[in-house]
Amino acid sequence: MRLLIVEDEPDLLASLAQALREEGYAVDTAENGDDGIFNAEGTDYDAIVLDVMLPGMNGWEMLQRLRKTKKTPVLMLTARDQTRDRVKGLDIGADDYVVKPFDLEEVFARLRAIIRRSANKTTNLIEISNIKVDTAARQVSLLDQPVELTAREYSLVEFLALHRGEVVTRTQLYEHLFDENESSLSNLLDVHVSNVRKKLGAEFIVTRRGHGYCIE
Amino acid sequence: MIFKSIKWRLQLWYGLILVAVLVGFGATAYQLERNRVFRRVDEEIHHRLNALAQQLHRPHQLHGPPLGPLSGRPPADDRPPPEFPDDNGPPDSNRSHKFNLAPQVASLFDANDPNQFYFLIRGPDGKDIARSTNAPDEVEAVPMAPPYNQTTMVPGLPNDSKLLNHDGELRSAIPDGRQIQADQPVPQMRGSFREITIYLPSGEWILVGRSIKPELAELHLTALKLAGFGGAILFIGFAGGWVFVGRALRPISEISSTAAKISGGDLSQRINTTEAESELGQLAAVLNSTFARLETAFAQQKQFASDAAHELRTPVSVILTQTQTSLARERDAAGYRQTVEACQRAAQRMRRLIESLLELARFDAGQEVLNRLTFDFSQTVDDCVQMIQPLAEERRVKIISELQPLQMAGDSERLAQVVSNLLTNAIQYNRPDGEVRVKLAAQPGLAVLEISDTGKGIAREDMPHVFERFYRADKSRTGGNAGLGLSICKAIVEAHGGDIEVSSAENEGTKLLVRLPAGK
Repeated sequence: MRLLIVEDEPDLLASLAQALREEGYAVDTAENGDDGIFNAEGTDYDAIVLDVMLPGMNGWEMLQRLRKTKKTPVLMLTARDQTRDRVKGLDIGADDYVVKPFDLEEVFARLRAIIRRSANKTTNLIEISNIKVDTAARQVSLLDQPVELTAREYSLVEFLALHRGEVVTRTQLYEHLFDENESSLSNLLDVHVSNVRKKLGAEFIVTRRGHGYCIE
Repeated sequence: MIFKSIKWRLQLWYGLILVAVLVGFGATAYQLERNRVFRRVDEEIHHRLNALAQQLHRPHQLHGPPLGPLSGRPPADDRPPPEFPDDNGPPDSNRSHKFNLAPQVASLFDANDPNQFYFLIRGPDGKDIARSTNAPDEVEAVPMAPPYNQTTMVPGLPNDSKLLNHDGELRSAIPDGRQIQADQPVPQMRGSFREITIYLPSGEWILVGRSIKPELAELHLTALKLAGFGGAILFIGFAGGWVFVGRALRPISEISSTAAKISGGDLSQRINTTEAESELGQLAAVLNSTFARLETAFAQQKQFASDAAHELRTPVSVILTQTQTSLARERDAAGYRQTVEACQRAAQRMRRLIESLLELARFDAGQEVLNRLTFDFSQTVDDCVQMIQPLAEERRVKIISELQPLQMAGDSERLAQVVSNLLTNAIQYNRPDGEVRVKLAAQPGLAVLEISDTGKGIAREDMPHVFERFYRADKSRTGGNAGLGLSICKAIVEAHGGDIEVSSAENEGTKLLVRLPAGK
């Protein structure tokens, strides 16, 4: 899962990005609305964490512009707790909001929720034959036995599981599993896929040659 | 309860006055009318009495035997009273006339009308001499009342001094020729009949009366009219008073209901002041302006508190996310150090904010005491310029100062705060290689400080708000500035009795002008 955080307070941005990376997300950051919209329009993020008060283009303006081209789920961070501000954000196209100061747990949960909703899932549990993916606990189990996966392996499984039945291209996988600062070595993805197959069964991830991968 | 109400008390008060006035007026009017009517009747009765008396005493005017001696002689002698034989005189339809009335006298009586004048003449022997047919049966001339003329026949005066003057009016004359007005014979009311009896010196009684039923009916009507008129006036008075008092007092109930709503927390309520000219209207206007000021003050307080809370949210968020992230797993020393440093920055920011807020609150409450001393303001400004120089060099901004020595009274530390704040702004919002001009000049009674920069200026829509608390033109919080700096400058300058204003041209620069009274 790849996220974009747009926040102008450097310390807040840094800690949010660190916390979300440790949660297994690939995280890109922007310190103002202009950089934010540039990133958001250029990449298919799984979700955007957007502060309202920003230098340059503010959060509302940025969201308004983004909604013309993308449906990316957006979680607004707002220091304004007045109803009209929250209503304004939601009406412009935000999917949810968190009022500052917030607990990280809440931000994580809300992010999971908006990502899940955008994938048309209602719960955190995805069952594929005898494999279960718990997106809240970031846990995969085979025949009800927990399977140890690295963060990157888990992200790969989660992304494919959320897009079950679809063919996911390698480019998409690179976009969603790695952030802008990671050098995308083309064989890194193959390593992750083969590791997952070892742990969950060879036929769990199907290779569509020339197209990408798929969970059926 | 009802007498505690101003409306009712007012009503009662002028209602009572109105009733008293109306009753007094009505009673007087009725009395006057009654007197007038009775006097008219009495005059007519007198007229007739006199006519009869004259005829009695002027036998030559009578058709019949002489009536007897004239009053020129004492009536008290033993001569028999004049006789009026029943069959004396020509037969007359007016049977009762034992003597013939002179036509001009008879014309005064209409014997057929029971409501007209009637008469009764009775001799000293108690026998009726003459009686008009329309005289009521029960009429008794003698003695209906003590003879009125007992007083007239003053002891010591000769009886013959009772004279009828040429008008037939009864006079008493004392011998030396002086005349005194005799007592008027007293009119008597007997039922609805008004009668006057006179006693002639010759011993006869003459009674003339008339039914005054029509007059009484008329008086009754008059009384009814007066009562109706009075009632109408009273009603109009009450109704008008009710309306006027109600209208006059309506603002009071409106004021109290509005005040109740305001004390209930709805500060937007206002009293409807349609009658602004009345005293209560003026009161309402005064109250309204008070309410408006209260509402503004409350709104400002609310805005201030919410802005303050808002400003605290971001540093608190930093501390929360930093610590929560840091605590999620084991970190190395550098990781913890990073977290602690970030927390420290957030805490410093909160401290600055809190200090600014407290400072403003003290200025607002008027608790900030200025340490007023006479000092050289140019020296203070120069110190500030020297202090800010490193920042200016960092931003490649050149400070050009043009300072005129100026002694003034004021709190030099506070004013230094203003100057460095304005200088910091001028440098921060300047362009690289820009300039800041600082000019201090003495004007009569004033110290004028001008700080201008060559930055990009302030957008027109931001101009009215630059001195507002928490207002930041660029909406970012990167400077760590809460947007209170200019508000505090303004508060300090105003506490010194001066003013501060800003002018700006976009892309050319901003100029801040501080005027301070230079009083010693």
